[in-house]
Amino acid sequence: MQADPFHLGGRPFTSRLLAGTGKFRDFGLMREALAASGAQIITVAIRRVDLKAPGHDGLLDALDWDRLHLLPNTAGCRTAAEAVRVARLARAATGTTWIKLEVIPDARYLLPDPVGTLAAAEELAADGFTVLPYVQPDAVLARALERAGCAAVMPLASPIGSGRGLRTPDLLTTVLDGAGVPIIVDAGLGVPSDAAQALELGADAVLVNTAIAEARDPVGMAHAFALGVQAGRAAFLAGRMAARTHASPSSPVPGVPRLPDPEVPV
Amino acid sequence: MIVNGEPHPSTPGLTLWALLRDLNVDPARVAVAVNDDFYPGARVPDRALKDGDVIEIVRILGGG
Repeated sequence: MQADPFHLGGRPFTSRLLAGTGKFRDFGLMREALAASGAQIITVAIRRVDLKAPGHDGLLDALDWDRLHLLPNTAGCRTAAEAVRVARLARAATGTTWIKLEVIPDARYLLPDPVGTLAAAEELAADGFTVLPYVQPDAVLARALERAGCAAVMPLASPIGSGRGLRTPDLLTTVLDGAGVPIIVDAGLGVPSDAAQALELGADAVLVNTAIAEARDPVGMAHAFALGVQAGRAAFLAGRMAARTHASPSSPVPGVPRLPDPEVPV
Repeated sequence: MIVNGEPHPSTPGLTLWALLRDLNVDPARVAVAVNDDFYPGARVPDRALKDGDVIEIVRILGGG
């Protein structure tokens, strides 16, 4: 297959699988799983230092940041103002201007606030951030985020950490139709076929965390997701057949060696 | 003043470096905000702090 780079924020990436660093049992397993995933863009969270036990936890030491691109998130932020503040803390903490923007007021389903997300995206883009907003698969909102200067749009497949897969493929299709920035399906993917489905529909990439971290064998599942993403992308480039209501024989219809008077059940 | 969401006594002459030292925080591994000023750990200034300042000291953790 020809080189098929994925461009994000002006940079080319060969892997269309982005990976998260949450929920792994230990750094060793995380490092192995991320290597098996082939992911080049890796998400992290920003949290207050525990002032009662301020020892460092070493996530940055566990990974080779010369080869990986860091993508901090604003997970946990409930309002635009909180997210903008955490984005600026993330920029100070990591040195990158990339930010995965999450404005999530709802703890039960972790559904993003579209109004707050757009407001925060406008403010952060104007402040020089490369903004990747996490949203519901809403085409009108996606276009507004593009106009606000976002580098990509990240529609959810199903609620964060739910593993329920792509529940609204028709809505994703409307987001993909005419998108002017990369569309990265984020959240809820459970198995590699979910990732393949998103790529088959034309998504540029997917972001996976829980499905890898909570697999019985995270390293094996990371590898499987890498294959799923490759299969989905290859299928998208190859162009799927048109779906039909009725069957269409694969073998020639004439010339069947029939019995003289077959009894054909209806 | 408020440090990471908790009230903290502000003593006369307290500076940001002194605060981090008192809290046993290695600046190289954190980022700090004082009100609307944001500093990478390596470039935390030894600025004076005053009553009413809102200070955040954050680190990087695993997340998705």
